[in-house]
Amino acid sequence: MPEKNMLEVNHISKAFGGIKAVDDCSLCVERGSITGLIGPNGSGKTTLFNMVTGFYPPDSGTISLNTQPIQNLLPSQICHRGIGRTFQITRLFWKMTVLENMIVPVRHTGWRTLFSRGVKRHEEERAMELLDLVGLTQYRDEEAGKLSFGQQKLIEFAAILMSDPELILLDEPAGGVNPVMIEKIMELVDDLNQQGKTFLVVEHNMRLVMELCQQIVVLDHGQKIAEGKPAAIQNDPIVLEAYLGSTNHAGT
Amino acid sequence: MKRLLSSNCLWITIVLLILLIFPWIQRSQYSQHVMVMTMMAAVLASSWNILGGYAGYTSLGHAAFFGLGGYLVALAHNHFGWHPFISTWFLAFIVTGVALILGWISLRTQGSAFVVVTIAMVFIFRIVALNLASITNGARGLTQARPGWAGVPWSPEFIKIPFHYIMLLLLCLTIFVSWRIRQSKFGLGLIAIREDEGKAEAVGINTMLYKVLAFGISAYFMGVAGGIYSYFFTYIDPQFIFDIFTGVTMVLIAILGGRGTLWGPVLGAFIMEPLGNWIIGTFGGTQIHLTIFGAILLIVMLFMPQGILPTLSEVIRQRGKVKLAKVPS
Amino acid sequence: MTVPSTHLLIQTIILGILVGGVYALMASGLTLIFGVMRVINVAHGAFLIFAAYCTYWLFQLVRLDPIISIVLTAPLLFVLGWVIQRYILSRIESPERSSVIITFALAVTLEGLMGTLWKTTIRSVKPEYASEVLKFATYRFPVTRLAGFAAALLVLLILYIILERTNLGRAIRATIQDRNAAQLVGVNVQMVSAITFGIGIATAAAGGSLLSMIYSFNASSQTDWITRVLSVIVLGGMGSLPGAFIAAIILGVMEQLTAVVLTLYWSPIVFYLFLFLTLIFRPQGLMGTVVREKA
Repeated sequence: MPEKNMLEVNHISKAFGGIKAVDDCSLCVERGSITGLIGPNGSGKTTLFNMVTGFYPPDSGTISLNTQPIQNLLPSQICHRGIGRTFQITRLFWKMTVLENMIVPVRHTGWRTLFSRGVKRHEEERAMELLDLVGLTQYRDEEAGKLSFGQQKLIEFAAILMSDPELILLDEPAGGVNPVMIEKIMELVDDLNQQGKTFLVVEHNMRLVMELCQQIVVLDHGQKIAEGKPAAIQNDPIVLEAYLGSTNHAGT
Repeated sequence: MKRLLSSNCLWITIVLLILLIFPWIQRSQYSQHVMVMTMMAAVLASSWNILGGYAGYTSLGHAAFFGLGGYLVALAHNHFGWHPFISTWFLAFIVTGVALILGWISLRTQGSAFVVVTIAMVFIFRIVALNLASITNGARGLTQARPGWAGVPWSPEFIKIPFHYIMLLLLCLTIFVSWRIRQSKFGLGLIAIREDEGKAEAVGINTMLYKVLAFGISAYFMGVAGGIYSYFFTYIDPQFIFDIFTGVTMVLIAILGGRGTLWGPVLGAFIMEPLGNWIIGTFGGTQIHLTIFGAILLIVMLFMPQGILPTLSEVIRQRGKVKLAKVPS
Repeated sequence: MTVPSTHLLIQTIILGILVGGVYALMASGLTLIFGVMRVINVAHGAFLIFAAYCTYWLFQLVRLDPIISIVLTAPLLFVLGWVIQRYILSRIESPERSSVIITFALAVTLEGLMGTLWKTTIRSVKPEYASEVLKFATYRFPVTRLAGFAAALLVLLILYIILERTNLGRAIRATIQDRNAAQLVGVNVQMVSAITFGIGIATAAAGGSLLSMIYSFNASSQTDWITRVLSVIVLGGMGSLPGAFIAAIILGVMEQLTAVVLTLYWSPIVFYLFLFLTLIFRPQGLMGTVVREKA
């Protein structure tokens, strides 16, 4: 009987030099949900992502996936546990082809697979399926660095699906992308969610957040200041204060 | 693509045949000697390339494993009578073991820090070899008996020939392993590490494991080569063998030919090693070969950091594009 | 292993401090260059030796005292350094990845040139006070070491004044802290880089001049020296001058102690071990800033 909460973050903190990027923050991501993580710039969202995916350990607190603690694991181990993640500034293997970018994340299961052929038939098929999902099959042999910004974002997203993650962390999927592409991304996330995937989405685009997310967590200065359904968050005076009171505005 | 592949096969077969009959077409001792050294340089550069080219981790300290192999084989020969041509393949596994441990420690660093760490590594080996004189004979170096078989030394006219074939065998093995790695998931992972290590880790590649493995595998071939080397010259000493210059030569050869490609290091070796020998032969006891090597490396790094092979293939591709453009639609 | 007497211990430690002062001078340029340009100048050792050779020839030709010759070698190498940075090093696109190999190539080229010009003969400069020893109570110290230490401190003081009290120094310090921010407030970072490299090589010149009278050398000594200087800046924290000073003293003392407790031939291992271990277990050294994890 799977846990209701897929991801549990308990009282984690992280300081860099003297600055507390995340301060005693706790949140849960329900299985099968699309949870939004919002807050003004500098509120600690990406730092939180980095801790969940293992790039640095929290100074204190615990992070669990399906009740198993993961805060001290390597990023690659966390990936194997079923968490996939995109980056705020898209990261791909620029000099590799799109297809190769799709193949790298494939989970291999042991020593034999390590030294086996680079691109297997069934992996190639799956990669093409996913490329078809994002409508980019014709670019399979193109150098990733040569694609447009929006296309690169889609490739990054499609590639992490290759390892079939249960929980997907999206860091500003709509950042710097045109409205048509935003629609496309929203559709994709919704479809995948219907198929059972859980999402945690950092976004500044309020329309996307309010329409897509079933649950929203709000951070400010590294702390959680609000949590709830989109309608409640939209009208929460504390949240409005955090956004309007800070020097950086959230865009729409 | 298939046409290219079979033309590649053709070239490889031709070159292999030439190398096989080489000692019989070139009777000169000097040429045979240079060919052995050239193939050895190709082995060293190709195995360096597994970590340095595919994964992008520049090590200047691989001479440590070359020298370690040399010492182990020499010691086994002198103390137990093991023939280097056989023992080197097994003793090199000890070298790999040492490399795996050292790699696990030192691969926590990245970029420039890693290069400096490998420099420190070579010098530590040197000091230890110099000072543990009871084992290594210190600065006086280790000598071995004249190369031969079953107690009978080879004649001076014949002597280079067995080395030619064992080195050719090693070269084929090294290239084969390098090729298999390139084609495999392991190789793809190494290249991913070179492109963006953080991202590679994020998509599930255990970067530390991959790097250490690459370090260890490349050390194996260095170790075997070192064992053959110490027998070839019947002498090794710490000052000469545990030096960064050997490492720099490997780097220069791999980069010149094309870092990260399969054949680049081989090409680089076949250019630089004969050239280097000619320079030392012509200009003799001066340090001018250092100047020339340094200058070539400098020029290559500044103006052609991809190396010859990638630059050539890029030029061919561009010309191909131009040709296509001229065809009327 | 020999356990030294207290007397020998104190003498060794003081000697280590004297030696460390000169190491600090040699390392100061290197750490400064790293701070401003993020370039690890592996050719620093070669410049040290080049300056040593210049000092040697000045001494041979006009009997110019090695310490005084700093007045000539420093400006000469400043110009050389400035030219090299301006026309060669500034071409490097990603200094983090390729600066080590490129400066290494430079070092090898220089070593080759010096070796070709001046052969492999071991040289050293012997002014009249070369074999004199100064006695304090029961302790004895070679005059060359004392003079070297004093000269090193003087040059470091001048460097300190330049960095702390001049506009140029402020610009340099700003660039070390944050290159982009410095550019935004109007600092010409390309100019600062070229000048800093020049200053760095000039201090190497001063160090090299002192080297020539304290140690014997030839062209191939440059690899020994670069590893020493590298371990100083790594231990001290790359980019930190006070760190380099402290690290230099520590390493100088450890080197001398090792020479006394074990043998002279083991003593270089101090540098290699510190270099190796510091980079792996505490890459920021004593006083450098922690580099954030690549996320």
